[in-house]
Amino acid sequence: MISKKKIATMGLAALMLTLPLAACGSNNETTNNKPANNAANSGGTNTDTATNTNNANTGGETTDAGTKLTGDFEIQYFVGGYGDAWWKKVIADFQAANPDLKIKAMGGAKINEQNKPRWIAGNPPDFVYIDGPELNDRQLVEDGQLEDLTGWLETATNVDGDKILDILAQAPQQYDGKVYNIPLVLNSWGIFWDKALFAEKGWTEPTDYQSFLDVSAKIKDAGITPFIHTGKYPYYINGAFLFPAIVSANNNDYTVLQDMAANKVEAYESPAVMTALNKIVELRDKGFIDKGSVQINHTDSQMLFLQHKDAFIANGLWLPNEMSKDVPEGFEFGFIPSLAQDNGGKVVANTSTATVAIAKNAKNKEAAKAFLQFIFSKAQASQWAELSGAPSNIKGDISASNAPSHVKDAAKFLTDANTVVIPTITYNADVDKAMQDASAALAAGTIEPADWVKRVTDAVKKAAQ
Amino acid sequence: MNSGTAKLQRTIFIASFIVPTLLFFGVFTIYPTLQALYYSFFDWSGMSQHKEFIGLDNFVNLFKDPIIWRAIGNDYFLVLGKIIGIMILATFFAVALTRFNFKLASFFRSTFFIPNIISVVVIGVLWNFIYNPQIGFLNSFLSLFTKEQVTITWLGFQHHTIWMLLPPAIWAGIGFYMLLLIAAIQNIPESYYEAASLEGSSQWHQFWTITLPLIWEQMKVSILNIMMTTLNGSFVIVWIMTEGGPDNTTQVMGSYLYQMAFRQYHFGFASAIGVLILVLSLVTTVILQRLMRQETVELG
Repeated sequence: MISKKKIATMGLAALMLTLPLAACGSNNETTNNKPANNAANSGGTNTDTATNTNNANTGGETTDAGTKLTGDFEIQYFVGGYGDAWWKKVIADFQAANPDLKIKAMGGAKINEQNKPRWIAGNPPDFVYIDGPELNDRQLVEDGQLEDLTGWLETATNVDGDKILDILAQAPQQYDGKVYNIPLVLNSWGIFWDKALFAEKGWTEPTDYQSFLDVSAKIKDAGITPFIHTGKYPYYINGAFLFPAIVSANNNDYTVLQDMAANKVEAYESPAVMTALNKIVELRDKGFIDKGSVQINHTDSQMLFLQHKDAFIANGLWLPNEMSKDVPEGFEFGFIPSLAQDNGGKVVANTSTATVAIAKNAKNKEAAKAFLQFIFSKAQASQWAELSGAPSNIKGDISASNAPSHVKDAAKFLTDANTVVIPTITYNADVDKAMQDASAALAAGTIEPADWVKRVTDAVKKAAQ
Repeated sequence: MNSGTAKLQRTIFIASFIVPTLLFFGVFTIYPTLQALYYSFFDWSGMSQHKEFIGLDNFVNLFKDPIIWRAIGNDYFLVLGKIIGIMILATFFAVALTRFNFKLASFFRSTFFIPNIISVVVIGVLWNFIYNPQIGFLNSFLSLFTKEQVTITWLGFQHHTIWMLLPPAIWAGIGFYMLLLIAAIQNIPESYYEAASLEGSSQWHQFWTITLPLIWEQMKVSILNIMMTTLNGSFVIVWIMTEGGPDNTTQVMGSYLYQMAFRQYHFGFASAIGVLILVLSLVTTVILQRLMRQETVELG
């Protein structure tokens, strides 16, 4: 009896001890199933992770003059608003063209966080698409995580033999004269309205700052709030109104923004910045800015705009796509990249982009470069526009492609000779936050332009230390 | 069988319960805490391979940062507001549902508990709709009594916006503490109240002299628990509703930590905030326990 009881007790004890350990063991096993990943990579649990194995396509053409790519090649891509249809397609195409290469694609909405331990440990994927949260190109450059592409890009040609730098619609951002990442997407911030509503009410669609003010006064009299922005995320009003306004006030010279991004205090103190800030103040003091803006997020502001509670919204060209399910019947998007220019002045398009880069610690840089040559081609450009719903950063006529019509319109706008296109600029994250907080406060009436400049230059001085 | 093996058996048996727990506690609590303490001495972006040791600089910068002081203030405002709000309402409901026999008691008990089974994220989104200036419930309700449409931006005040986060936080917390107190009240023998009634004591008097002293132990636990969960977890509701905005007016330590670590890439600095949260939680727990030290009344 006693011994049976004893055995039972010991058995229970042993079970208690081993159960949690067994759970650990099985976890380890799943992680270890992923080849070539270090244990810190939690990619094993990500359902979006797609592993493209060699699909033995013999019909593929080799990318470059006879060089055969071999070994492992890892691609990290964030899946967000642009989806992953294009990535899956282009990776399959690249695989077909390079049957001996073992491509491993790591994609997903959480991939930036999942792969972070690998970047920290110096074992990053070879190729990275920089988009989404927790991945910032300027920070990656400052952390020394990206390969310097300056020299290579000077002569690099794509698979069709075109020089890559020549076919880019917007040039890559330079960090101290060096290039580390290349913009893949060409999207634009701007101001939207409903053409149908304007036609119905007899309002004139604005083309410059003065006509914007004039029609806003009429809209306000009609009982509709003229302008809404996404105050919870003030980068919307910065991207769609403030930054283009600064460029307009600077004689269409966007280098002022690049100087701002390079943490030059005097750029923030330039008269152009003050002129632009005063335009926000003018809109605010005339009561054109929806007072609710300060607390609402993008979805709410977009809904209010679609419901005609507000006539204009500061947003970006992805808006029609993003809200496609909620657009009321008869709603017709009117769009202009900027509304702060003088009468007859050029339209200023502040681009919004996502870039691609090669990791400094990449193990297969050759394949990564070949992949860059592969994706920056006209064929992939129209495929991108078609599958992601956004214009690609490659010049070229996509009017014949299957891309959605608003994408074609946008592409036309952005390649127009009369549009000043601001190339992609990433600000220091601290300065960017200071600008956002200050702009929200300025639009809400808490502070004045001089306070804006003071706050932001303080942040710049601190960040430059 | 000799006492030696019995002792060994006993030890093994106890160890089989303690060791796994200790292991998990070590791996998931002690190790990350030490890790955070370690990172707080470095200038590190959170993504770089290189960390620069800077000693206590992160802490020095932390105390020079005006936003952290506002965050601490907001955190303690929420602690105080939630303790007062939740304890008063939870006690009131608990007494109402146990001491006054009315038919719908169990229905109300379930109803008041509902916010506890809803995710805080959902609560945040829900209250965002209540506070929405144009299509929100609160403004629509107030508009019933005014000629003009009310368009107050409840989450967009220049100061004190943190007040607006108190109602959802209290609303979400009541149910759990109410149940805790109901259990405590139900443990009080009915004869105490009968005796008091016979002596002609009023309900109010019975509450002060019987109920309150006998549930004080549970109230103490509740207050400590509200304080700790607020200092460590107010992040969620803040992040869902305002992300610390507008203009950092609703920043709490947790949201500022997240902002610094993952939006502004100062992981070392964020770790220093984490250490600060830990220290403040510990200190506040000790102080509160001292303040509430009162002889526990036990059932005779």
